[in-house]
Amino acid sequence: MHYFGQGSSLEYGTGRKFLAGCILVSLGVLLAAGGGSWDITNHLLNKPETFFAPPHALLYSGVGTSVLGAALLLSSSRFAGRIVLPAKMAVAGVILLISAGPVDFAWHSAFGLDGLFSPPHFVLVSGMVLSSLGAIAGMVYYRTMTVRGEAVRLHPALVVVGILPLWLSLSGIVDMFTLPFSETPYFNFNPDRTSAVVLAAVGFPFVIAACLVGSYFLAGRRFGTMSISGAAFIVTGILTSIVPSDALISTIPFYSLSVIPIVVSDALLSYKQWKSSRIPVYLAGAIVGVTFFMLYYPLITHTYNEFTNFGRLVWPGVTAPIYFELLSTVYPYVVVPAAAFGIVGALTADRLAARIKAL
Amino acid sequence: MSRTVAVVGALGAALALYFVFSLYILPMSYQESITPQRPEAVITSVEFSAREIALGEKFVISVAGENRGQEADMQIVSIGFPNLTSIDGATTTSHDFRQTPFRVEPGDPVGTSYIGPQGNLTAVYPSIEAFSRPWEKGKSYSISIEVKPEMEGRFLVFTKSVAFPHTREMAHYPREGMLDYQNEFVQIHSVNVTKP
Repeated sequence: MHYFGQGSSLEYGTGRKFLAGCILVSLGVLLAAGGGSWDITNHLLNKPETFFAPPHALLYSGVGTSVLGAALLLSSSRFAGRIVLPAKMAVAGVILLISAGPVDFAWHSAFGLDGLFSPPHFVLVSGMVLSSLGAIAGMVYYRTMTVRGEAVRLHPALVVVGILPLWLSLSGIVDMFTLPFSETPYFNFNPDRTSAVVLAAVGFPFVIAACLVGSYFLAGRRFGTMSISGAAFIVTGILTSIVPSDALISTIPFYSLSVIPIVVSDALLSYKQWKSSRIPVYLAGAIVGVTFFMLYYPLITHTYNEFTNFGRLVWPGVTAPIYFELLSTVYPYVVVPAAAFGIVGALTADRLAARIKAL
Repeated sequence: MSRTVAVVGALGAALALYFVFSLYILPMSYQESITPQRPEAVITSVEFSAREIALGEKFVISVAGENRGQEADMQIVSIGFPNLTSIDGATTTSHDFRQTPFRVEPGDPVGTSYIGPQGNLTAVYPSIEAFSRPWEKGKSYSISIEVKPEMEGRFLVFTKSVAFPHTREMAHYPREGMLDYQNEFVQIHSVNVTKP
């Protein structure tokens, strides 16, 4: 089936506006996702009581940027005479983003402070996933329409801008169903402790592998883009989850090391002697999959502490010691499922890439 | 072929080094070097506007707390009213804590034995939990509460302060004396309530 249709090539000006719209939607979701991640950290450290906090400002700046991007997409689609599927996805996602705001306000008015998972928050993150997916699909569409007959290969910068918000948003969905941050006086939306650790061990590896291996294919199966995407994710994590907490700053070297398996996997996939084989895809998926426990530090501490030592509070000052204890006691049990679902994620990206190539 | 072997060898070595550092060397190093904070909770003053009132009148209690140790992720100054049946009898008139003081009604979930602010225990009497999160080293915060006793007699007020992470005895105050229903030490104060 042809997702993107066989319409005539986009006119030059309209096409550039379309691409700009996709980029703005992606950047907007990136800002919103970064703001969301920072907000989780801010709530853990400072228990803010006001809506007017810097992470919220970043989050809503992202929403505003995405709205601008969606407007450009609609405008360019109007000139082209049709709204292609990627644009529909991106616009629908942005509509969800916008509608989450008043719904969240109404929820707060009725039930006070909400936790990580609440219906309005789920609408918000779903909108982020849909709009970032639409944006990257739009970038691919733009490429297929403007350079017909050639292999689809996005510029590395476009791949990183497109993949990172999608990766962060999908991680946000998994976070909602794995982190024990959703109990309030009115509702207890905290996930079941066993389900949370299982979902973390399969969901995160799948997301990491799908996004990283996906970035490799989107960049035209060349070395570098996957590594840069991974490094960008690590930098985002450092800025939003580690730097705000004084007690965690000394662990930045530990967290930064996680770029090594990503670079190794990138090299595995890119080595030209093996490009015709599927084995590097399996290996890369497994390798990046098993790094989930390190890549999702420090928040993953809360998920696994809840299972192993329910009742022990993970204060910011003791997050690192508890995490390293879990690394030695829990990690050996999750390595195998993590590798397996990393492979599944990599194969999913591989299949999607094959379908795009067939367009 | 030899190039392939070299590439495989290099990648394998890089991965091996990564896992050795991430799973063994760095965690060991951090476990030795990272020490949890050691806050020291102190209640520096407890003042009453009056120590004897008539039934129907109100008095004001002002409590100040300080952290004399390292920064606490959270420190609570708790003022409990074992002779009240509802927290409606106590109203915060002023405070400078970073967050809004929490009002505990009988039946609300509370923590026990300095484990944390919330747990499986049920509150026996109302209290006001003033807290700052975080509570910096050397910083003081205070709260004033207007209280209207419900009955004549000796009206008791319990005060305590707990800092988290609760890593040592100095993280709670007082450090000896009477234990309340939460199995935590409290200072005991009283106001004499006479007939109107």
